[in-house]
Amino acid sequence: MSLRIVPEDNHASSFSHIPSKSLSAPSAPGLHDTLRAGVGPSPHDADKAISAHPLEARLKSWEATREALRMETLRRTYGIAEPVRRGMELKIARENTWRPMCLSQGGKTSVHEEILAGRDETITWEDVFTNDDTSAFVSVQDEIERKLVKI
Amino acid sequence: MPGFDFSNYNRNAALCARGMSLPKATSTGTTIVGCIFDGGVVIAADTRATSGPIVADKNCEKLHYISPNIWCAGAGTAADTEFTTALISSQLELHSLSTGRKPRVVTCMTMLKQHLFRYQGHIGAYLVVAGVDPTGTHLFTVHAHGSTDKLPYVTMGSGSLAAMSVFESSWKSNLTQEEAIDLCSKAILAGIFNDLGSGSNVDVAIITPEKTTLKRNHITPNQRVPKLGNYVFRRGTTAVLNEKVIRKEELGNFVSIHEMTEEADKMEVDT
Repeated sequence: MSLRIVPEDNHASSFSHIPSKSLSAPSAPGLHDTLRAGVGPSPHDADKAISAHPLEARLKSWEATREALRMETLRRTYGIAEPVRRGMELKIARENTWRPMCLSQGGKTSVHEEILAGRDETITWEDVFTNDDTSAFVSVQDEIERKLVKI
Repeated sequence: MPGFDFSNYNRNAALCARGMSLPKATSTGTTIVGCIFDGGVVIAADTRATSGPIVADKNCEKLHYISPNIWCAGAGTAADTEFTTALISSQLELHSLSTGRKPRVVTCMTMLKQHLFRYQGHIGAYLVVAGVDPTGTHLFTVHAHGSTDKLPYVTMGSGSLAAMSVFESSWKSNLTQEEAIDLCSKAILAGIFNDLGSGSNVDVAIITPEKTTLKRNHITPNQRVPKLGNYVFRRGTTAVLNEKVIRKEELGNFVSIHEMTEEADKMEVDT
């Protein structure tokens, strides 16, 4: 395990719309063969970079790198029990909790998770430019109503 | 994708490879300075905003609020300095609510440098952070790549060389408040008159342990003088060819008049 502070510079120097393993269509080289390989990679895939820009790869792996550093430091200081306990706490907080759409950027984050990750008192560009202008606004009342009707 | 959007990067790179010229990088211009005196700190800025060779705003504000006792002067991309300082201001407020203490200048500086380092200089914010907190008076500069400086007098922006020459020649230790304001104003004036990217007026903010005083347009050396000639003609310059007087009582002979009732008089106004 390394004590890397910032993500390493491993962005792709070239970019292809075709997933690395699948072949392109025989009749149209350079295009994804949907019939053989199924639907191609989505541009909205959260953890995959959609461009060859060095900054994007860096930002994508920023939180994971910081988290790995924190956990590795804890492991060296207190032993393996500490990162395991934190991981379990995070898992418990992540599962079986209802996240109101209007408070959690479309159900992606929850306040409990943010407290455990130490992110509850920070505000970043992602919190301001959420880019969900196109999705419909769902109020808490609507959501509760739908939950009750389902039961 | 929340946050920064990179979806057009590949398309632009492909277009560039096929010979399409990329937009040129715009050089930005500003003069901002800061200077510590006995019992506080002064920051000052010019008020010109440029977009390439065009002066976009002759009286913009480059001194940004972070917290009541910390202010920030910004050079570089105007939107980036504006938004970064607003973001750090919010973050510092959250932090001070969480800890229950007055925000520290070093905390602000660390937040800024960590934020800017993360974005590798793609956020073009060059800042002078100044403030007074329980630990004393502080003055820092933060570059867009995340490097910081701590000095008794600092300058930033394209006019920094002109401004620094004033500081280097006439700065002395143990300045009084008036002397510090005067020195900072002189440094900004040097930037205004010797650097093409800086101009217009001088803004000054004085931060002391008790309060912060923002002197917007402290010095206005580039007042627009009234024009020598004008196009206002004397009455009677053109001759009256014919004249007909209609009195109010006999107005009904020319147009139809309806009396308005009280109900109809009320306008429909969205409130």
